[in-house]
Amino acid sequence: MTKKSNVEVWTAGELLERLECRDKFFVLDVRNRDEFERFRLEGRSPVPAVNIPYFEMLELGGKDEMLDSVVAYVERNLADQLRFDLPILAVCAKGDTSEIVAQGLHRLGYASSTLKGGMKAWGEHHETRALVETDELAIYQVSRPARGCLSYIVGSAGKAIVIDPLRHLHPYLDLARGSGLTIEAVIDTHGHADHISGGPALAAKTGAPYYLHPYDGIHPIDVLPAAIPYEFVRDGQTFSVGRHALEAMHIPGHTLGLVAFRLEDRFLLTGDSIFIRSIARPDLGGKAETWAPLHARSLRRLLDLPEAITVLPGHFSNLDEADETGRFAASLGDLKKRNDGLVALQRESEEGFVRYLLASLPQFLPEYVDIKRVNAGLLTPSEEDAATLELGKNVCALSQAYAGFCGGR
Amino acid sequence: MSQTFDKLLDARGLNCPMPLVNARKEIGKLEPGQVLKVVATDRGSVADFQGWAKVAKNVELVGQETEFAEGANVYVHYVKRTA
Repeated sequence: MTKKSNVEVWTAGELLERLECRDKFFVLDVRNRDEFERFRLEGRSPVPAVNIPYFEMLELGGKDEMLDSVVAYVERNLADQLRFDLPILAVCAKGDTSEIVAQGLHRLGYASSTLKGGMKAWGEHHETRALVETDELAIYQVSRPARGCLSYIVGSAGKAIVIDPLRHLHPYLDLARGSGLTIEAVIDTHGHADHISGGPALAAKTGAPYYLHPYDGIHPIDVLPAAIPYEFVRDGQTFSVGRHALEAMHIPGHTLGLVAFRLEDRFLLTGDSIFIRSIARPDLGGKAETWAPLHARSLRRLLDLPEAITVLPGHFSNLDEADETGRFAASLGDLKKRNDGLVALQRESEEGFVRYLLASLPQFLPEYVDIKRVNAGLLTPSEEDAATLELGKNVCALSQAYAGFCGGR
Repeated sequence: MSQTFDKLLDARGLNCPMPLVNARKEIGKLEPGQVLKVVATDRGSVADFQGWAKVAKNVELVGQETEFAEGANVYVHYVKRTA
């Protein structure tokens, strides 16, 4: 933690630690109201926040300079909502305005901090954590906490396979370099709708082949073939990595080409099928009724795997799905008891479970159609547009499990 | 047809909150009925100028445009002093 003109500066990594350990603080978010509604800070516990767009502070504070306006506004309009005994984190889009706001709060005697780089930096923060780490076998979970995306590096004896790499490639390249791993294959478990895949770019950069199931090489809504080079993944195909191998299991449902990867009886990379608290939605291809029964049968196939196998999902929706060490992983046996979707799957007939799936669909986000186009190489966004497409949190899981937590989004 | 204006504020290269802070100062120097043209490179300024115009008493946002120049987007805001 660094200090800048008496104001604490939190990096995105430091913010993550605080969110994970349920640190108590209050957020003063000065972005405009739409941005705040669409993408806000969420921790293991709800984070108390108030949203006052900075231009309202400027206008109603009535001073020429931002800092003076903040002081005047807070004294007049916010004093009854802020506490002196709780740190206040000022947050804005990119981190400049929040620094001025934090200085204003400091002038009034509040314990104030600013988020370095703002919500942009938080939204793009990546965290890499080892699940196992020996020379014989290493598995790293690379997460993008603000968006709830998870990806994996499986390494053994100097070789590595990267599964579901995210758009920013530095976590994979840095880890491979630092751990002396050569990336030999890059695989997407499916054509993603919620985030832009880093797969083709990572493959191009490392010279490794990029794999995708051919069913996901066709955009489901445009019904157009992907304009990117990829190798086909088949059901049952094995991908060797050092002294181990990943076996592909074709489990259509969330997409037609969804593939899970099994590392012996130890790990199951489920992609978008089984998450920790919930399961994936079947409607992002626009064919919910047709795909839901496939999804049901695929999930039943996964239920037959050994209970001790560790599920490594493609997403989470809330930080409190992580274990105490911040890792998103749990045994299949454990999830059979506490995952809402798997509990419903075991309780219901196929028809009943399909009804459950169709009754639990969250809002369909139109940008997801475009993101699938980007991933199929049918659309090439600028960096700015790519960042906008990926703003906020993914909505790949059924809504029911989260209805109480985040308004069912 | 392009929106007419009385004064130009170049806020290119400035980060939030400066385009809006400077625009607010400049608009105070105009006569009621006159229009300030603000050019900015901060994409966030588009929504922020809309939000500001809603809360500010003597300001109306009479136009917004996005232009592509020198490899980057430029966001143009036309702000009228109303009283």
